[in-house]
Amino acid sequence: MLTLSDVDPGTAEIREALLAGYGRPVSGVHDELLSSDGALRPHWRGLIDWLAEIGRTGYDDANAALLRLRTESGIAFAAHGTPDAEEDALPVILTDKDWRELEEGILQRARLADAAVTDVYTDRRTLGAGLLPPGLVYGGPAFAAHCAGWSRPPRNWVHIYEADVARTADGRWVILGDRVDTPLGDGWLLSNRIATSQAFADPFIEMGVRRLASHYTRFQDHLGHMMGWDGRLALLTSGEKDPRFFSHAYFARYMDAALVEPADLTVRDGSAFVKTLGGLRRIDVLLRGVADSSVDALHRPGRAAFGAPALSLAARSGSLKIVNGIGSAVMAHRALAPYAHRLAQFLLGEDLHLRDAPCLWLGGERARKQVLEEREAWRIVPLNSRDTLLASAADMSGGTVDGDGGDIETLLGRFGERFCAVQSPDVAETAFWTGDGLSRAPWMMRVFASRTQDGWSVAPGGVATRMPASGVPSALGFGKDVWVLPGAEPSTPAQITTRLDDRYAQAHLRRTGRDLLSRVADELFWLGRNAERTESVLRVLGVCVQRHLDGNRTDSDPDLLCDIIEIHAQPDESLTGAARYRDAIHRLTRGDDVASVPSILRILRSGGMRARTSISAESWRYIERLCSDRRWQARGALRQNAGLVRLIEDSLQALAAFAGSAQENLTRNFAWRFLEIGRRLERGVQIAAVAEQMAAGVNTHEESRLRAWLTLSDSSSAYRSRYMMTVQPAAVLDLLILDETNPRSLAYQVDRLEKVLHELPTDVPYRRPEHRRALKLLTELRLFDADALAATDDDTVRPELTDLLTRCQSDLAEISDLISRAFFAHADAPEALVSQARLPNDAEVSS
Amino acid sequence: MRLDVRHRTHYRYANPAAFSQHLLRLSPVTVPGQRVILSSVNILPEPEAIDTHEDMFGNRVHVATISRPHDELEIIATSRIDRAERTALIFEASVPWEATRAAALGLAEATPVAELSPYAFPSAMSAPDVAIEAYVAETFEPGRPILAGAQELMSRIYNDFKYDTDATGAETLASESFQLKRGVCQDFAHVMLAALRSLRIPARYISGYLRTVPPEGQERLQGADASHAWVSVWDPAFGWVDFDPTNDCVPGVDHVTLASGRDYSDVAPVSGIVVGAGRQLLSVGVDVVAAPESEPPVLPGTATIRQIQQQMQ
Repeated sequence: MLTLSDVDPGTAEIREALLAGYGRPVSGVHDELLSSDGALRPHWRGLIDWLAEIGRTGYDDANAALLRLRTESGIAFAAHGTPDAEEDALPVILTDKDWRELEEGILQRARLADAAVTDVYTDRRTLGAGLLPPGLVYGGPAFAAHCAGWSRPPRNWVHIYEADVARTADGRWVILGDRVDTPLGDGWLLSNRIATSQAFADPFIEMGVRRLASHYTRFQDHLGHMMGWDGRLALLTSGEKDPRFFSHAYFARYMDAALVEPADLTVRDGSAFVKTLGGLRRIDVLLRGVADSSVDALHRPGRAAFGAPALSLAARSGSLKIVNGIGSAVMAHRALAPYAHRLAQFLLGEDLHLRDAPCLWLGGERARKQVLEEREAWRIVPLNSRDTLLASAADMSGGTVDGDGGDIETLLGRFGERFCAVQSPDVAETAFWTGDGLSRAPWMMRVFASRTQDGWSVAPGGVATRMPASGVPSALGFGKDVWVLPGAEPSTPAQITTRLDDRYAQAHLRRTGRDLLSRVADELFWLGRNAERTESVLRVLGVCVQRHLDGNRTDSDPDLLCDIIEIHAQPDESLTGAARYRDAIHRLTRGDDVASVPSILRILRSGGMRARTSISAESWRYIERLCSDRRWQARGALRQNAGLVRLIEDSLQALAAFAGSAQENLTRNFAWRFLEIGRRLERGVQIAAVAEQMAAGVNTHEESRLRAWLTLSDSSSAYRSRYMMTVQPAAVLDLLILDETNPRSLAYQVDRLEKVLHELPTDVPYRRPEHRRALKLLTELRLFDADALAATDDDTVRPELTDLLTRCQSDLAEISDLISRAFFAHADAPEALVSQARLPNDAEVSS
Repeated sequence: MRLDVRHRTHYRYANPAAFSQHLLRLSPVTVPGQRVILSSVNILPEPEAIDTHEDMFGNRVHVATISRPHDELEIIATSRIDRAERTALIFEASVPWEATRAAALGLAEATPVAELSPYAFPSAMSAPDVAIEAYVAETFEPGRPILAGAQELMSRIYNDFKYDTDATGAETLASESFQLKRGVCQDFAHVMLAALRSLRIPARYISGYLRTVPPEGQERLQGADASHAWVSVWDPAFGWVDFDPTNDCVPGVDHVTLASGRDYSDVAPVSGIVVGAGRQLLSVGVDVVAAPESEPPVLPGTATIRQIQQQMQ
């Protein structure tokens, strides 16, 4: 048998080799790549020709490019990157005819899901007519009572719909699950498509694969219509801890929606607002990525107040449109499946286009009996995937469940309404790449639909994965891209794409200014501080290790080095000389000490993650590169000084790159200002800490200390070019404390701080308190001269310098406090009120 | 019987709260046998906004928002109610319990009665377990008239359970208090609901007040009355019929209905969120007194004798 490695690209044998391991399709099982007689289906020819041309190494290159693109977007949008995709890079290709069948069915299904959810919360016709059993709706926790029976309900609950679909063995499409509670997986679809279309650019373009952009333009038009010309769009996420965060962050940026968390929202007078620096800003449309059950803290008494309090009131008043409406979970997952047929006829007056995988609702005795008799044939699953009361029941195929309830029969008797039984159909197969050509496996995919101004639209594509052996669709992530080929009639995507660009341009014009979320301002401020602190620690470490290596007797005196280290970590007083120095270095480079570089990098990274959506992708990459540098974790290697010097240099470079990138890539809006404030404040604090050592006393190593300080401040060459002589205290103090043109001086930091504080929003005609404080400090610095600072008293202490530094440190700390209080304080999380005390009731009834 | 109700809730916070939002179900509504003559809720400090709406269970709900710093909050709900004596019930004349289940679930030929369905299923706080299922089976044998069964179940709970204010908390589940055979009115109601709903008999949780009559020759203590809870069961002929398992009686003119729902979480009189308050100290007092039929309302004074204080972190 031919193997792919044995043949050259472009030769006749390579096609045979590509398919050598694929085999003939199983009789009666639809195969995407080959027809039943084993011939290649024509719509795959473009891709197979290309594979034959580039061969194995060509594929490996494309695959490597794809993985790199995925990793990069993962890093750019998700805290922990994204999990490695399990799937290969090979797309699934569908003909126009295949797609139309599915599209028509999904369009109907989305309308059906919306009609069913909306009916449950408004007219309840489906319940009244006996079409939906009451237990399906009210029997579980998904029903949102506080959203039912409104006097002016929204016309539609569902605006975004996703489905897990597969092709059965006979080639027809089948629904495996409805996603209507918090769909918003579009970020995966889009990022997956962008990566695949770049890595496989040649066949993608040549085959004329249908693009996604026009679908999202239509959705955006619909949202624009919903929110009005000056409306605001936000996407609500529960944050980094949610595995769907990547998609939320990606999609928010794509749709130009503000990415908000529940604590950023507040509801006043029946409208929803985000908390920004400029005060409260109204939100008109909210893409909801937080589950129904935890989205509104006010309507869940006694629980941890996670959600945005009273959010449902803003929807009730009609001021806020929520996509999808709170309560959509009632028809999520498998709830629609058992009754989809008759609901389609009743609600839409149509026959159902797409079948469901066999699904029985277990609220009825007969269904329970049937399923218990045919245990082998069914899988029993919660009707709603978020039903938490019965966590142990997630997979009950084993027969018994733990804890109270004993056997499954008892459990179903007690809570049958919350469960259904499903069968996994035999599904069609498609091509997967193995190291040595193509192989076959069953597949499924997620498809994405959204509302438009005149109906619904389905994104032409999907995210495909191998069908898991369990039959349970896995969580969405990167997968195989699904390519839909164009039909006979030409489409006009070019024109639409331009309109998309126009929209973005307009939206960005609106987004400068005070709209920065208070929470994000807080995060950026601390990112600035932490980056600066990291730099300071690295520089101290660098100076000491370098001096130790150089071995100059004065400069490498262990006690002197320990004094320098003391800026960040207290050396062990029980040790002396070289041992004390080695111990101190060891602690600064070891992982578990709070002051150590690895600890500080961890803090920097977690702060960077939280602020990531407000800095550029490039800036984040530098932080990520620095913080994930494995050398800081490798214990043994650090003991070698040469390696350590190199590592410190690399780390400082990454920090400089981050600083430069933030400087160059962030517009000078409030986001940049808070980063800058944090940075200047921290650098001022660090300079003051070093200068304190100069103030405390003049001793034998004064000259060596001054040189160390110049190196720490990266100002040695500035000093030499100015003075060309040995170091003098007054000259060094002038350069590093008072000189406003030296970006490493204290005065420079305070000057910058004052300028940026001046630009923060204020509601009063006077300068804000933190600005006044900075202005006072700056003026004070300007009135000093270097000789006065360098002057010593009898005890060789520098009193003027000491005074100045003490004031400086307390002023900087106070400015930091004032900023926190003025701009970040109302980002506090709400807590639940103590629940109503239960009164004793020992009263007697008079009767 | 005309009753005046005064329900005072007071929070004191360790730190000034920057913002708070409150969900109040303190306004009684007119229901069969109960007419609301007047009802008001006063909140201090005065909220910037109060939203009022009716929820799906027919309760009147207020959402109050206070966005000025405040370190205490007082909510006083007052109402004047006319209560009529219930017409006599013949418990044995009610329909078999299976008929009410069928009406709620739309089983067989029965058309579901939309108003019943939400109350027929175990909720988080009224979920049954094997012990509760066995307990209810002793009373509800096939064909038993629903009201007769409910009355017997109520009496059994009254006799088998001990009233104990320390045994349970506001979040206690039915299965927990059932095991303890102890609790307060909320627990008794949840146990009875869990028992009925294990059979899918529709039943509601009612929150309200109970007027107490002091022993002969003694003054009634102010604030001594209670915020109370009981259960309501449905019969096609009699409508909703209340049962009070804490007192083993069918509520009459001394019970005032405040709100109804599936369990306590649907009707909690005062709940909400607060930002920056730190420790919270809560005190509650309720007065229910008979009012003259003809005079304008004279509501009880502000002093409360008995206070329940609850502290959190």
